[in-house]
Amino acid sequence: MTPPTQDTAVAGKSLSRKAIDRFLKNKMAVIGMVVVVLYALVAILAPVLPLYGYEEQVLDHQYLPPSLTQTGGELLLAKKTSEFESLARSQNRPLSAEELAQLKALKHTIANDPKHQRRYLLGTDYLGRDMLSRIIYGGQISMVLGLVGALTSILIGLLVGSIAGYFGGRLDAFLMRSVDILYSLPYMLLVIIFMAVFGKNILNLVFALAGVSWLTEARVVRGLVMSLKNSEFIEAARSIGASPFRILFRHILPNALNVVIVFTTLRIPTFILMEAFLSFLGLGVSAPMASWGSLIQDAVGGMTLYPWRLMFPALAMVIFLFSMNFFGDGLREAFDPHSEKSI
Amino acid sequence: MIRCNVLAYVLRRIVGMVPTLFIIVTLSFFIIRLAPGSPFSSERNLPPSVIANLEKKVHLDEPLPLQYLRYLGDVLRGDLGYSTKHVDFTINEFIARALPVSMTLGALALVLALSVGITVGVVSALKRNSLMDHSLMALAILGISVPMFVIGPLLQLLFSVHLGWLPTAGWLSSRAGGLTLILPVLTLAVTDFAYIARLTRTSVLEVLRSDYIRTARAKGLSQRAIIWKHTLRGAMLPVVSFLGPAFANIVTGSVVVESIFDIPGMGRFFVNSALNRDYFMIMATVIVYAVILVIANLIADLVYAALDPRVVYE
Repeated sequence: MTPPTQDTAVAGKSLSRKAIDRFLKNKMAVIGMVVVVLYALVAILAPVLPLYGYEEQVLDHQYLPPSLTQTGGELLLAKKTSEFESLARSQNRPLSAEELAQLKALKHTIANDPKHQRRYLLGTDYLGRDMLSRIIYGGQISMVLGLVGALTSILIGLLVGSIAGYFGGRLDAFLMRSVDILYSLPYMLLVIIFMAVFGKNILNLVFALAGVSWLTEARVVRGLVMSLKNSEFIEAARSIGASPFRILFRHILPNALNVVIVFTTLRIPTFILMEAFLSFLGLGVSAPMASWGSLIQDAVGGMTLYPWRLMFPALAMVIFLFSMNFFGDGLREAFDPHSEKSI
Repeated sequence: MIRCNVLAYVLRRIVGMVPTLFIIVTLSFFIIRLAPGSPFSSERNLPPSVIANLEKKVHLDEPLPLQYLRYLGDVLRGDLGYSTKHVDFTINEFIARALPVSMTLGALALVLALSVGITVGVVSALKRNSLMDHSLMALAILGISVPMFVIGPLLQLLFSVHLGWLPTAGWLSSRAGGLTLILPVLTLAVTDFAYIARLTRTSVLEVLRSDYIRTARAKGLSQRAIIWKHTLRGAMLPVVSFLGPAFANIVTGSVVVESIFDIPGMGRFFVNSALNRDYFMIMATVIVYAVILVIANLIADLVYAALDPRVVYE
């Protein structure tokens, strides 16, 4: 596998340098990376961006459509007017004096109340909350959960995989047999049960998801460790009397780092999808917090009347996952030693 | 001789299923029971004495280990018990009604995902780095990125609400008949299609580089013979080993798809049973799914062995 990479600083032909060059040549992967970085920036900067609070409700502004030009008040007035007009039309009469007076009064309040000056670029939801803000803060939750989930599962996978790979024998057989058994379980069903009976909160969520998804990581790490443990520099470390744990953590795992990083990147979308899946079933994050999945779940009921509530969170999520997948694929191809053959 | 080996292998695998199933039953039993709450805790206005009686009837008053053993015994006798929510039928009756529905949906989706996925993968590999290859693979990545619960509602919005071509929801028995199948099967197949297409492409490319294909070329075989006879057989191996996870995807997906399209299968009641602490119902669903999954894995392994001459039945 990859030899130690202390010489990364030397320009030119180090393996990491070559991998980075390969990655940069892959246009889709670079575009994916740029999009992912943009998303991350928006999520990190969300508190200082000029956004309305994601939990701020303006009950008058329920279900307002997205608009770049009109304020919430104008949209509300237009909505009320067209409601009255269609009612009048169905009864074949002009607007009554009472209706006109109501509209006038509404116009007056709208002009004087600062809350009606709010603008909703992506519309509002059933409590008059700004969708743009909810999508951005929801994305924050989804991305953090994806990252934490992927990191947790890679840690568990590293631990199990490296112990199994390094020590081999019965321990290895036992661990890998357990992985095989768990692998064939319908584990999402167990996660659903777990979330349903233990209640939904973020800690349970990460715990449940990471608890079932370290299996692939364990296999990959085990394979890496097994192929590294017989190499000469490990032999050398062993010959000067380094302890197994020192060898494992100081010599073997740092060499597996590339693969681990790439793998974590590849896993983030899976976690975001799993969280969204659970949120969609009503078992993910709880209100007023939002995630992409819970926003989509909120929207499905009224999707024929208020399609923007479904389209925008779905679009935000799909674009992110799409870019993330391209980015991860590009990384894997670039860092995979076999890829030199395949390109 | 070989057949004898296969038989012995299958038998050994069936014996090997027992611990897997045992672990699943045990895990789900204790996950549910260790959580607070009881199936009857949400019933309103029930005096404690009535709840106690109800719990006694389904043996919830006994110590947990005893309940566990009793449940194992019941399951071994093929009795999955009663639902604590739907009192008008036994769970066995419920499964007899719901399982065929879920099986039809899942089988159709799997067949669709396999046929389209393999075709797309092979075409992509053969036209490597062409525009066709790039667009098909972008499509596959899109398939992995768009979750079923987004695809389902969007398909409904497009084909049922706007175009009015297909029914929004329902199942075979309703008036729309077979048309009700199209959208749910499509939705359920998307994820697996995407994985299979990518997997097929990679493995076809790998096989095309291998020595035995070079030999076949050197012998002067036609391109068609090389692809159909030599490449596909070897390239299908990773796809076959993916069948297990593919099946698991479909089982998990059915929970969402059946509720989006209002299909009376096993998945639709799953989440509610868990939320309602419908102990026996949830256990029964998990057990049925696990049995199916384990059998599917066994079949996948047998197909693998049939395709790969190197496999020996140790």
